[in-house]
Amino acid sequence: MTAPLLEVRHLSKEFPLRGLRFGRHRGGTVRAVDDVSFDLYPGETLGLVGESGSGKSTLGRTVLRLFEPTSGEIVFDGEPVTADNAAGLRRRAQIVFQDPYASLPPRMRVRRILADPLLIHEIVSPSQVEERVASLLRDVGLSEEHARAFPHQLSGGQRQRVSIARALAVEPSLVVADEAVSALDVSVQAQILNLMKDLQAGRGLAYLFISHDLGVVRYMSRRIAVMFLGRIVEVGPAAEITSGPLHPYTSTLLAAVPKVGPQRTVTRLDSDHPAPARVDIGCSYRTRCPMAQEVCETDRPELVEWAPGRRSACHFALDVPQRLQASLPVPGSAG
Amino acid sequence: MRGRVLLIRLGQMVLVVLAVVTIAFFVLRLATGDPARLVNPPGTPEEIITQTRERIGTDKPVAIQYVDYLWNAAQGDLGTSFRGAQSVANAVFGALPNTLSLAGITIVISATLAVALGALAAWRPGSILDRGVLVWVALAQATPAFWLAVLLVLIFSLNLRWFPAIDMAGWRSFVLPVTTLVVTLSPILIRTSRQSFIETLREDYIKAARARGLPSWRVFAVHGVKAASLPLVTLIGLQLGFLLAGAVVVEAIFNWPGIGKLILDSLASRDFPMIQGGILVAAVVFVVLNFVVDMLYAVLDPRVGAARA
Amino acid sequence: MSDALATVEQTALRSGPIAAGAGRRILRSPFLLVGLVGVTVIAAAAAFAPLIAPDDPTAQNLANILAPPIWVEGGTTDHLLGTDVLGRDVASRILYGARNSLFVAFSAMLLGSSLGLITGLLAGFFGGRVDSILMRLGDVQLAFPFILLAIAILGVVAARPAWLLIVVLGIPGWIVYARVVRSRVLAEKEKDYVAAAAAMGAGPWRRLFRYVFPSVWQVVPVIALLDVGFLIIMESTLSFLGLGLPPPAATWGGILADGRRNMVVSQWLPILPGLAIVVTVLSINLVGDGLAAVFDSRHIHRGLRRPFSSSVPSASPVDTDSEALLSVRGLHVEFPLPGATVKAVRGVDFDLAAGETLGVVGESGSGKSVTASAVIGLLDPPGRITNGAVLFGGEDLARFSDRRMTTLRGRQIAMIFQNPAVSLNPVLTIGFQLREAIRHVTGADRHTVRHTARQVLVAVGIEDPDRISRQYPFQLSGGMNQRVMIAMVLAARPRLLLADEPTTALDTTTQAQILNRLVELTEAEQISLVLITHDIALVSEYADRMLVLYAGEVCEFGPVRQVISQPRHPYTRALLESVPRVEDPAERLQVIPGELPDPRRDRVGCPFADRCPHVMDICREVTPPRYDIAPGHIAACYLWASEPAEAVAT
Repeated sequence: MTAPLLEVRHLSKEFPLRGLRFGRHRGGTVRAVDDVSFDLYPGETLGLVGESGSGKSTLGRTVLRLFEPTSGEIVFDGEPVTADNAAGLRRRAQIVFQDPYASLPPRMRVRRILADPLLIHEIVSPSQVEERVASLLRDVGLSEEHARAFPHQLSGGQRQRVSIARALAVEPSLVVADEAVSALDVSVQAQILNLMKDLQAGRGLAYLFISHDLGVVRYMSRRIAVMFLGRIVEVGPAAEITSGPLHPYTSTLLAAVPKVGPQRTVTRLDSDHPAPARVDIGCSYRTRCPMAQEVCETDRPELVEWAPGRRSACHFALDVPQRLQASLPVPGSAG
Repeated sequence: MRGRVLLIRLGQMVLVVLAVVTIAFFVLRLATGDPARLVNPPGTPEEIITQTRERIGTDKPVAIQYVDYLWNAAQGDLGTSFRGAQSVANAVFGALPNTLSLAGITIVISATLAVALGALAAWRPGSILDRGVLVWVALAQATPAFWLAVLLVLIFSLNLRWFPAIDMAGWRSFVLPVTTLVVTLSPILIRTSRQSFIETLREDYIKAARARGLPSWRVFAVHGVKAASLPLVTLIGLQLGFLLAGAVVVEAIFNWPGIGKLILDSLASRDFPMIQGGILVAAVVFVVLNFVVDMLYAVLDPRVGAARA
Repeated sequence: MSDALATVEQTALRSGPIAAGAGRRILRSPFLLVGLVGVTVIAAAAAFAPLIAPDDPTAQNLANILAPPIWVEGGTTDHLLGTDVLGRDVASRILYGARNSLFVAFSAMLLGSSLGLITGLLAGFFGGRVDSILMRLGDVQLAFPFILLAIAILGVVAARPAWLLIVVLGIPGWIVYARVVRSRVLAEKEKDYVAAAAAMGAGPWRRLFRYVFPSVWQVVPVIALLDVGFLIIMESTLSFLGLGLPPPAATWGGILADGRRNMVVSQWLPILPGLAIVVTVLSINLVGDGLAAVFDSRHIHRGLRRPFSSSVPSASPVDTDSEALLSVRGLHVEFPLPGATVKAVRGVDFDLAAGETLGVVGESGSGKSVTASAVIGLLDPPGRITNGAVLFGGEDLARFSDRRMTTLRGRQIAMIFQNPAVSLNPVLTIGFQLREAIRHVTGADRHTVRHTARQVLVAVGIEDPDRISRQYPFQLSGGMNQRVMIAMVLAARPRLLLADEPTTALDTTTQAQILNRLVELTEAEQISLVLITHDIALVSEYADRMLVLYAGEVCEFGPVRQVISQPRHPYTRALLESVPRVEDPAERLQVIPGELPDPRRDRVGCPFADRCPHVMDICREVTPPRYDIAPGHIAACYLWASEPAEAVAT
């Protein structure tokens, strides 16, 4: 078993609140990421899926130390990453953002956008920059002509390719993709996803693939982690989680995804349930969970390995498949 | 929560007034040297100068004078004028309403004009009306208040004899000064209003309101006006300084017995207590008005007030 | 701003960098040109005053005082504009006055703008204590009656050298620049590209100056220009009050003050310097406004237009299927923008029966949203229906005036939009807007309206209607807001409801709840629903029939089960195969190569030709007609042309 590329232990990130909403405030702060631990192995894609407020984007940025963690530790390639040596992380881990229109500096030409990381980290000498930029552009499916363009002259898909090229410039071993295809048209999305897969194969990249779209996450990931209100509630191999989830929230998510098939599958009728008043005790999903019992109010479930490679933070994980009937239509029966 | 914010604001206001008074006090002292000498004609014998100094209180160290002044001011005593024995407080508070009436009427008329013209212009952008409004605004913004006042006096007082040129007597005497102020203050309000209306009408919720079948006029009047007027409130607050400058000029030209004229006259005669008192009271009024504007905005825009909800 | 127009604008923007068009735009704007000419002339006059002034501005000639200008009786060519009370040549004094005013105003502007720019950049970018202190200082200063202090200082000092004027006028201006720069910096700082720069290893100073600054500095020149105009007026005012540059310096304000004192004798003396001020400031303002327009990319492609568009297209032949509730025939919609005309919808036809749900699927640029907006008559200006018919209840809505459409909207035809947060007026309560809608549609009295409002909120799944009614939209979640929108719409029981991407902005679980509720309600009330979405799975779940659009044209139309199980158009097939499905995971996604065609260009043949794996020569030459695949199922693709005679008339 190879050593993990990234080890995250008990990571938490709090933000101070100005003007309170309802929900999980603790003395004026919001715990966007709440005691998260996971491993990521070299060359693999770990999918991170959740809805708004799950903390997945915050987790992605905190892992790269773009936000300072409130507590917990991050170990990259065997070395702990602290505030002091965070700069060293910049060469080894990069990020691609969601919005193709806001993730590139509007007044810089593509050539300069890609040259900057090369120059900052002195990856090539100044005389070789031009050539390296051209090579990066080719790797992501663009041509040298695009080097002269300004971001607003490119389409959404092309901009996202530039973002990817920029991330690759420093030759990282990990790329965090934060909803990297969510803002793209469907026909372009497939292009970018396949590009990312090819780049992964060619360069041995590991991805932390963050998305709200279960279909996309399933396609890209070897393993999936499901987040809810700042915590990971289930982790496991992608195929197994999506066919037999061990957490009621995962099951609900799967049931709610609209599917192409012979009939309507989305039938559950709920109204909005409020988040529990206190999230530090008991299970944070209890107010929405059809399986909730007394123990869920008092004991916070930890991520426990209920089956080989399958972890779930639910007291009744093994009951989920039968109780919630979250099975999907058998592939191939969709006409 | 609300109480704490208010307290902070009050503290800020006091700070501002204090700062103004202090700066004025020390600058005035330092800029001119010995007031006792300035008040008396050159060549006055030394004993008279010393007597003057004792009379007006400048024989004590400056710091003591400052503290004394603040102490007295807090109790409402702003000192005595150097010229004659008039109470500064009386003079200043007597002049204050005159300035306030000018300013108040100006703001009301300007704001109304701004909303009306801004709305009309945005309703049909590019039309003759809109272009006319823009041309007018451009010209008005380039017109200095003092010139306009003089022009108006030239045309309406000297030549046509419709309105009086000086002094404050009866409603007719308000016309020219207020017109001057409105013409110089309203352009920026009108432009902002027009822009605000144009942008508000582009918002998606306007389209959604029309999708519900609400007639255009109602969408415009109820949904549009409220949202579009908010920036005007803030803008008026920001323009109070400009308005005050205009008022000073207008008072000078029309011989209007307001605070601006009071201060200007006192400058010529180096009447420091009067200058000081005028500035202090003006600062207080200014600061209070700003506060009122801010509170008004918070009341009108639910997004601001409700941060505490 | 609607997504349709946003997409259109993005396409337009891609045609060239902003700077490249600037030169042309400057030449196209008459006001800006006039302003530039004025500024140049005045600046030149001021600079070369010593060379072109007829006389020494301080040269007195008490023998010839208050001489009139040349156009008044008694004027001479010696003194074109007359003389003042000391016999000095007015024209020369005005020229030198320009010099002094411009110098003081410009210097003061430089002082204020530099201070402001630097503090704004630092405060905005680094935030923290520096920012708090600076902003407090700014607040305090804005509450300061600066003019009074300036007057007091200038009034009592012994000497008034130019630098003092510059300092007194210039320093208070810093706050204006600082605030604007700071807010621009704050806005840019949040954008992902700055975070990406940080992730890339760029230090704070590099991020500030190489990344943020280039997008921020543009506000300064515009403000600075307008500031110069303002400062000229301020300087003149001070001079007028006797508080400006000391005599014998020539200042516009000073000349005017002299003129005023002698107004009875010489009426032109006070007028002329004022004219000089007006012309100068006006020119400067014109340039400033013109620059603002040039820099503001939003104005580039919008132009001015009425907020509510109304259009009546030319007559067109119409053949109808009289059973349908809604029949759209040959719909063409255009957006004539300054750069080019965007043809968003190019001949869309479909029918919708009563009580049926139609799913309209397409990507951005497909024209799906525009079609819906056209049906309800709410195209974003300058959109217009240029051809076609929208038949509803036997009448052609496309020919209706806006007033007539207004009577239909909300009552017979309703629409809900994508982003609920921006579809509700942020400064009015939910309850107010809901009751307003109900009252408008039902005309009932207050009590009934309140009652209905409560009922309808409960019907959409809001358990605490009274509390929610008192809230403002920003206080509620997206799901809640969308429920409110649905409530507003359903209160009237329209016959047709257009839902434009109603759940795209919502979470998956919320989406499921909302759509289930929506479909349940429309089915119960026999309301026809047009569900517009980019997600074909939604159509599969909820629609009875589906319409597939690409680049403004129809690809395929038919019963959902039929089209999904046997997609006939290559685009439909590509859509189905290129989207990763959690229920049917693929090893490798099929990719649709290439990109959407330019909506501004006219086209020949099938819009999908460049990207189609089955493309034939004829596809590029002639627009494919619609072929019958099965009853009620058509596809616009030559692959299904076994016999030309089978083509359905278009």
